[in-house]
Amino acid sequence: MANVSVAAEWQLLINRYYRKPEIYQMRWKHIDLSRNKIACAPFGGPIAVIRDDSKIVQLYSESALRKLRIFNSAGVLLSETVWKHPGGRLIGMSWTEDQTLICIVQDGTIYRYNIHGECLDPNYSMGKECFEQNVIECVFWANGVVCLTEAGKLFCVMDFKEIKSFKLGDVGIEAEEELPHCMAVIDPQYIASGNVRVLLGIGEGIVIVDEDEVTHIEGEKVQGPVQKISVTRDGNWLACFMHDGRLVVMNMNFEALFQYQCESALPPEQMVWCAMDSVLLYWDDMLLLVGPSSEDSVRYIYDEPVFLIAECDGVRILSNTSMEFLQMVPDSTVSIFKIGSTSPASLLFDALDHFDRRSAKADENLRLIKSALPEAVEACIDAAGHEFDASRQQTLLRAASYGQAFSSNFERERIQEMSKTLRVLNAVRNPEIGIPLSIQQYKTLTAPVLIARLINAHQHLLSLRISEYLGMNQEVVIMHWACAKITASSAFQDAALLEILLDKLRLCKGISYAAVAAHADKSGRRKLAAMLVEHEPRSSKQVPLLLSIGEEDTALMKAIESGDTDLVYLVLFHIWQKRPALEFFGTIQARPLARDMFITYARCYKHEFLKDFFLSTGQLQEVAFLLWKESWERGRNPMASKGSPLHGPRIKLIEKSHNLFAETKENTFESKAAEEHAKLLRIQHELEVATKQAIFVDSSISDTIRTCIVLGNDKFASKVKTEFKVSEKRWYWLKVFALATVRNWDALEKFSREKRPPVGYRPFVEACIEADEKGEALKYIPKLADPGERAEAYARVGMAKEAADAASQAKDGELLGRLRMSFAQNTAASSLFDTLRDRLSFQGVP
Amino acid sequence: MAKVSQIPNLDNSPLNLRSLREQSQRELVNILKNVRGKKCLVIDPKLSGSLSLIIQTSVLMEYGVELRHLSADPLETDISKIVYLVRSQFELMKFISSQVHNDISKGLQREYHVYFVPRREVVCEKVLEEEKVHHLMTIGEYPLYMVPFDEDVISFELDCVNKEFQVDGDTSSLWHIAKAIHKLESFSGLIPNVRAKGRCSVRVADILTRMQTEEPVNSHDMGIPEINTVILLDREVDMVTPMCSQLTYEGLIDEFFHINNGSVELDASILGAQQQEGKKMKHPLNSSDKLFKETRDLNFEVVVQVLRQKATSMKEDYAEMTSTNQSVSELKDFVKKLNSLPEMTRHINLAQHLTTFTSKQSFLARLNMEHTIVEAESYDICFEHIEELIHKQEPLISVLRLLILFSVTNSGLPKKHFDYLRRELLHSYGFEHIATLNNLEKAGLLRKQESKSNWLTIKRALQLVVEDTDTANPNDISYVFSGYAPLSIRLVHHAIRSGWRPMEEILRLLPGPHSETKRGGFPHSASSESMSVAGGRVADGRRSLVLVVFIGGVTFAEIAALRFLSAQEGMAYDVMVATTKMISGNSLTESYVEKLG
Repeated sequence: MANVSVAAEWQLLINRYYRKPEIYQMRWKHIDLSRNKIACAPFGGPIAVIRDDSKIVQLYSESALRKLRIFNSAGVLLSETVWKHPGGRLIGMSWTEDQTLICIVQDGTIYRYNIHGECLDPNYSMGKECFEQNVIECVFWANGVVCLTEAGKLFCVMDFKEIKSFKLGDVGIEAEEELPHCMAVIDPQYIASGNVRVLLGIGEGIVIVDEDEVTHIEGEKVQGPVQKISVTRDGNWLACFMHDGRLVVMNMNFEALFQYQCESALPPEQMVWCAMDSVLLYWDDMLLLVGPSSEDSVRYIYDEPVFLIAECDGVRILSNTSMEFLQMVPDSTVSIFKIGSTSPASLLFDALDHFDRRSAKADENLRLIKSALPEAVEACIDAAGHEFDASRQQTLLRAASYGQAFSSNFERERIQEMSKTLRVLNAVRNPEIGIPLSIQQYKTLTAPVLIARLINAHQHLLSLRISEYLGMNQEVVIMHWACAKITASSAFQDAALLEILLDKLRLCKGISYAAVAAHADKSGRRKLAAMLVEHEPRSSKQVPLLLSIGEEDTALMKAIESGDTDLVYLVLFHIWQKRPALEFFGTIQARPLARDMFITYARCYKHEFLKDFFLSTGQLQEVAFLLWKESWERGRNPMASKGSPLHGPRIKLIEKSHNLFAETKENTFESKAAEEHAKLLRIQHELEVATKQAIFVDSSISDTIRTCIVLGNDKFASKVKTEFKVSEKRWYWLKVFALATVRNWDALEKFSREKRPPVGYRPFVEACIEADEKGEALKYIPKLADPGERAEAYARVGMAKEAADAASQAKDGELLGRLRMSFAQNTAASSLFDTLRDRLSFQGVP
Repeated sequence: MAKVSQIPNLDNSPLNLRSLREQSQRELVNILKNVRGKKCLVIDPKLSGSLSLIIQTSVLMEYGVELRHLSADPLETDISKIVYLVRSQFELMKFISSQVHNDISKGLQREYHVYFVPRREVVCEKVLEEEKVHHLMTIGEYPLYMVPFDEDVISFELDCVNKEFQVDGDTSSLWHIAKAIHKLESFSGLIPNVRAKGRCSVRVADILTRMQTEEPVNSHDMGIPEINTVILLDREVDMVTPMCSQLTYEGLIDEFFHINNGSVELDASILGAQQQEGKKMKHPLNSSDKLFKETRDLNFEVVVQVLRQKATSMKEDYAEMTSTNQSVSELKDFVKKLNSLPEMTRHINLAQHLTTFTSKQSFLARLNMEHTIVEAESYDICFEHIEELIHKQEPLISVLRLLILFSVTNSGLPKKHFDYLRRELLHSYGFEHIATLNNLEKAGLLRKQESKSNWLTIKRALQLVVEDTDTANPNDISYVFSGYAPLSIRLVHHAIRSGWRPMEEILRLLPGPHSETKRGGFPHSASSESMSVAGGRVADGRRSLVLVVFIGGVTFAEIAALRFLSAQEGMAYDVMVATTKMISGNSLTESYVEKLG
């Protein structure tokens, strides 16, 4: 039976089963692992192979030049390149998380390759000390490395994205004999401090190096010397191979959990953790799987060299001819396929078999598991997920689907979901793609990262299909494709290539044409870039790019169209810097928004330059305004104001401004005003000299007159009046208020008698009332011509009866109402107004 | 005593303004979290007003913040991490630079972060570069594009949109406005109808369309959009209304005491608080205050009566309470009423204080003059009045305000008068005001008459002057100005009722172009011609929303008129107001003032 044959391939270790199905027959030819250095990325990543220069190997019909070759996990060649770097032997080689191959040579130089075998610029160095001391060993983790030098010093790079090497704490190794027997690191992300932790097997014990801190663990705890160390992924467990052939598993406090006595005291060539629960050791032609907390083990014999790749859920075993995956058999699979299993899932699987053979036993099986049906279905689905063989996946899913038909309460999407996942997995497991992800690895890696890896390997179509299938944003894929296409299509004409690109870019709404255009520009295809950027709808992306490809005028136009003044400024500053002033002026003068934004900025910051602009574009009045403005700045600046020449330069500026205004027809008013201003400053200056009081400059003409009168200097006041042709009306208001300010009531009265005031006596009344001089006010109120005004004035000095009389004379009902309001507190007065108002309305006067 | 918070309660808002505000809170908190440890937060003083409507100062303190206002003076603090929160303005860049230079000269090494509100701008960074401090800064953004002022009012807090656009040709604000509306759409769905009148408005509508193509609001996920129509209106279209004195309660408070960020600052004694003489006190004014919500939009004449009535009825209740035996529940009701007593006292005090201003003869004369100008039938009287104000050297702003009103209603002044008044202004207030005059001329607010005024036609066609306005039981928006119906709100009313089409002739008489756009494909929305009464319902029975955006600011009186409209029977929409700034005639006029000296 099929069930039996499945379980026959399993090995029992204590109470768990292990299996190691073959995933691929390697497609490569003549690769002998023993002759080569190998770097193999986890999560089904690529394999880098290069002839090992630390071994003496026989050359067959091949070049003496070494080649770095990169294969996928199925042994399909992805790329190859000749290795001819200086710096001594290649010491360490490993893939980073984003699938960059890191190669470290003896002198500490770090070379980086992408999956296409292209060496990435620049090279880095582990530092001067490394260079002098020679690197002898490298231990990598996902994104970093620790190097050991001949002098026993440790150097570390924390992150390959940002390569900065630094020295770790000194262990104090003096002689070559003291160099560590072995070394392991714990990924910083599992250490609370965020620093890397290095474990060294030195002497009889273990040394822990934590950045600057060095701790020695010796004696009872570790009965060394330790020959080989391996740490679990999460950094919680430690497997140590001792000099006497003991394998000791301990926790981070170095408390042993169990030990296993190996037959050989020779340290294994490789030692890795298989997930978190067992340790796999490799000696020449033998693999030994040692389980936890017991002395049991499983042994596999190989007649060819193998290379072990630790995964999160098992170990991949690479040999010259095949790729196998060693894992603990998942519980669901065990429950179905274990020999003699009577679990519901197993019965369900069996039922399907009977059903296919039209046997009535199918029904019997179903009845047996009735209540446990959902659980059985779930197990079948789960087991399907763990299979690499597509036909077995199908059979398991069919069993699940069969069971589901009889089960009412089961989440039906589970089967769909699993089918979807498996389709993706099977697609990438195809030997041509060669990414043999297990379902757990896929879930840990996540779909976006898988897609990113596919893109990186230039599998654009597949990644597009997968992202479409999973309902993910395709922008990343299309964008990368477009850029790769541009790089690869140097032979294409711009227009033809543009069509090809647009055809695909259209698939994705909101994709950044500007980013593609930027790439085109970087690849030296400026014209193509210009054509592409035309399609970018977002001005904020489009404009900067147009600038970078030298299309300033288009950029300016687009910026203005967008209405985003920030973009206008961006272009403006760019052009300003690039072009000579006159040309710059010409450019912006033609575009009002650009011009106005420039002026706004220049007003605050570039006065002189702004003047040049106005002059060159013939806007003399604007220059005049600027000069006039400057005149005040001169005035404010104490440095410029020394004694009488103080006003000299100021007045000169104003006069210049006056002349400029005079040159245009439209600005006669401003011209006249500037002229008057200059004159005023001169007179004010004279006044200050004459009165020895610095209170005139920069006050208005009216204020100057008032001040003169307040100071009792009528002569000067009159002079100012005549000089500036101040109207009689204004003169009266000013003089009256000024006299009231100094409470010179006699002078005021005298003034009122000079002649009939051109504005009547209202100024006199108002000034007196405001000064709270009722008696003075009464001198003028009767002289007010308008009875309404008179009424209001009387009301304001609180004379109700007189106010009422005047109001009735004015025959203004509304006024009466208002006056009544203001006398509301005064009962007698308000009744007076009521009577009057009644009389008015009786007469029919509004 | 339930103290009214300056941060308005937005629970009753027709839009989800709360989540908008919460987002702004979160963003600010994240900025503070990003800078670890104690930090000195230096805020642009203008922004601190906006922030007071977003987040309590105490919350900022929780994140180890020491608060300072940004000024030209050196920064005095012991803290080494400085976080500047500033609008993108040259002046502020200079302040920052000078503070940094000061630190350098003292040998202080500090960590500087500059967060631009609402976004970083090339031009400001350029200034920092020129001042050689740019490399010392970590630069970020705080995307605060709008601040909810009340349940139905949002402000973009842009100070001088009008002046910048009309005088400097600077359109930065327009992009900001479009961005804010676009952001609002990401909450409420794509707004299907866009109506615009005025140069700025039409441009904003254009930019809004561009933004939709550049970064589409996904309308399909959201169902029916909450906002059915946005009406964009330039202040420039109606410069008459803001220049008239507002006569609603809130409007008058603003005219006399200035409302800043939803609160008014007065002597504590005026508000009836038992505090030492001369101490200023902030009094929040928003709809969380029930009594204020009831009275804010009434004509002030009526407010006094309403308050008196309330006081009387409470007095009666009290009398009843002491004389007869009451049940417990009646007692409870009474106590509840008593709770509103402090509020009532405050408003009675405030109203009383206001009356001392409104009863002044000068104020009444001014109202009289405003009406005469708006009536536009007695040119000479108005001219002479203004001439006299200048001769008396009355405060410049109030003179200019009348003069603008006068010039706008007359489409400018005859050249002789124009030059004469300008000369008198310069003589009376100083030649430094030549720049102000130049600004006003460029903005078209005080200019030479070139053609006959069409104000009379507009006034008649839109019935702007209404005789016999009953301020107590109004039936028309003209109650807010005791007889003048604000032009802006008349336009909005027409736009809501029937769109622009039927009134194009009138629109053409007003400054700037107009546009009407339909966006997206909504089968449920009303036809573009008219939004029928039935068309305005959102699924859950709420009325759908019209967003009225005032570019260049709006007055409290206009908002009152809009609320009045929205409350009318037969009105199918709730109205939400967005403005670049809350303004009064004075603040609007001030924005054009530029002294050379």
